[in-house]
Amino acid sequence: MVALTQALLNGLVLGLIYVAIAVGLTIVFGTLRLVNFAHGAFYAIGAYIGLVVAQQWGLGPALVAAPLAVALFAVILDRVLLRAFYSKDATSQILVTFGIALIVEETLRLIFGSTTLQYPPLPALATSFAMGPIVYPAYRLLFALGVVVMLVLVWLFLEKTDYGLIVRAGVRDRTMVQLLGGNIKAASTIVFALGAAIAGLVGAAASPIYSIAPGTGFAFLVPSFVVVVVGGLGSFWGAVLGGLLIGELQSVTTLVFPPAANVVIYLCMAVVLLLRPQGLLGESEVIRQ
Amino acid sequence: MSPGLRFALLTALGLALFPFAFHAIDGYAGLATQILIMSIASIGFNLLLGYTGLLSYGHAMFYGGGGYVAALLLIRVMPQHPNLWLAVLGATLAATVLALLVGALAVRLYGIYFALLTLAFAQMIFFVVEQSQDWTNGDDGLQNFPAAMLPIGPYSIDLGTPLPALPLGPFGNLSDIKLWYIFAALVFFGVMIGVRALTRSQFGEVLTAIRENEERSTLIGFNAPAYRLAAFAISGALTGLAGALRALYDGSVPIDSVGIERSGSFVIFTIVGGVQTLFGPVVGTGLIMYLEAVLSGKLDYWRLIEGVIFVAVIIFLPAGIVGTINNRVKERRALLAASVRAK
Repeated sequence: MVALTQALLNGLVLGLIYVAIAVGLTIVFGTLRLVNFAHGAFYAIGAYIGLVVAQQWGLGPALVAAPLAVALFAVILDRVLLRAFYSKDATSQILVTFGIALIVEETLRLIFGSTTLQYPPLPALATSFAMGPIVYPAYRLLFALGVVVMLVLVWLFLEKTDYGLIVRAGVRDRTMVQLLGGNIKAASTIVFALGAAIAGLVGAAASPIYSIAPGTGFAFLVPSFVVVVVGGLGSFWGAVLGGLLIGELQSVTTLVFPPAANVVIYLCMAVVLLLRPQGLLGESEVIRQ
Repeated sequence: MSPGLRFALLTALGLALFPFAFHAIDGYAGLATQILIMSIASIGFNLLLGYTGLLSYGHAMFYGGGGYVAALLLIRVMPQHPNLWLAVLGATLAATVLALLVGALAVRLYGIYFALLTLAFAQMIFFVVEQSQDWTNGDDGLQNFPAAMLPIGPYSIDLGTPLPALPLGPFGNLSDIKLWYIFAALVFFGVMIGVRALTRSQFGEVLTAIRENEERSTLIGFNAPAYRLAAFAISGALTGLAGALRALYDGSVPIDSVGIERSGSFVIFTIVGGVQTLFGPVVGTGLIMYLEAVLSGKLDYWRLIEGVIFVAVIIFLPAGIVGTINNRVKERRALLAASVRAK
């Protein structure tokens, strides 16, 4: 029972990381129609910047610096390179963003080496939270709470602001938004920066829990794509539902039958793709891209 | 001379000269064999991407799958009489069956969904291979399996045998080349001729028509998913064939051969060389593998260079190296024809 509770808590933490990355992927796809294989790179850059800043000034400044730096990088990347690929087919977008992901990964390897880096044992990370027989690291609970708060803020942004309105309308019918005079271009820069900042922040916040290596970005990106597909490309709640589902599935399988832990999420995605290609909460309109 | 015959003769000539010219630029004969083998996989990959527009992110499942099946056939089924034909044929057949199974599900999807479904299957196969310790040796991969012999008539040939010694100055020595190169070159030649014929056949034309306008092709009466499935199966078969050859040539099958980076390498090879061209995947494979062999020992940021080359090609040469050259040649010819007409 204790083991199961801990597995469920682990699944929640892992799932929330997936949700955060997937939300970025999904709003970027929804607004920009861009399939971004470089999104995992934002997570990795955030993780490394976070580590460097945390070693100097502590975890708090790291959580501010990482998302800002990543958002800046994303905006430059978008302006210099990706904008030309918005109107191209998904295959070209996958190719160019895959190439960018390779370049970022290898640049990180060049700067920080191939070795897996661990966080220094900060006092904030040592505290545990006990409830009856269940003992769980306090930082993980705090992390989960922080991600939930962040997701609520993102949701409020999407639901309550004019930019959010354009984003949501863009998911449904991009051409109509443009015809009605919605400024998708301005919204798209903000959305791209926002998606990247979320990934960067989560990268910095999650790396005391998970270790950091140059390949970490891609390692988180692939399951996050699984999440997006399971939940429905372009759907915020789809990303939330899919992320929690995949995180818990992976975590509980690790407890019950470890060899299948990595297979089960891909199996889940394959089943969803074949039975309901638009995803659990997706709009059927986007599947033929 | 017919274009087909000229193509065959030029390809054969290129294959005969390749290892010697290659020696002169610091390439070694072993790499020449590996490039030919990997090119077969890239040709298979390009058949899918170039002629159906479907980007597979899981071709390592066929490549690595072919390698593991070939090795397992030698280890488990015929350790006493390791027969190269049977190992290669068995592995290719297994890859074809796998491609038919995955393809039956995947060919109804497009774009990102197709890429992710193939990726999902490849990841499943990767983890199954990694976890099946007893059979596959897990992360360590398979090594030291029986060296397969190539029975031809009454003879049993060891492809590891070098050719007779004959110094060739700057072009190395004839004995640098093993019979493996000749065997790989013959298979490569057969694949080139076959794929050329295939893409010029009605089958190839229908595939192109479906890629360009699926709705119209369907209305004319072509079963688009069936055509795509056939292309996927042939693509998987060629990639599996390459995986089996590479395993037998190297004498080992690493776990990476079913990994995600291997799938990505076929994407890089093909895009750099040029999709929808016959020689593009070959040139891309040769160039990247050559640079890797020359640079990866000296520079620890070789993979960064590879990524930069890949992105630069996508931005500046979207048709790839061979595709760009082809387009230039076509432009020249059109200009020439126009000026002749003007006179």
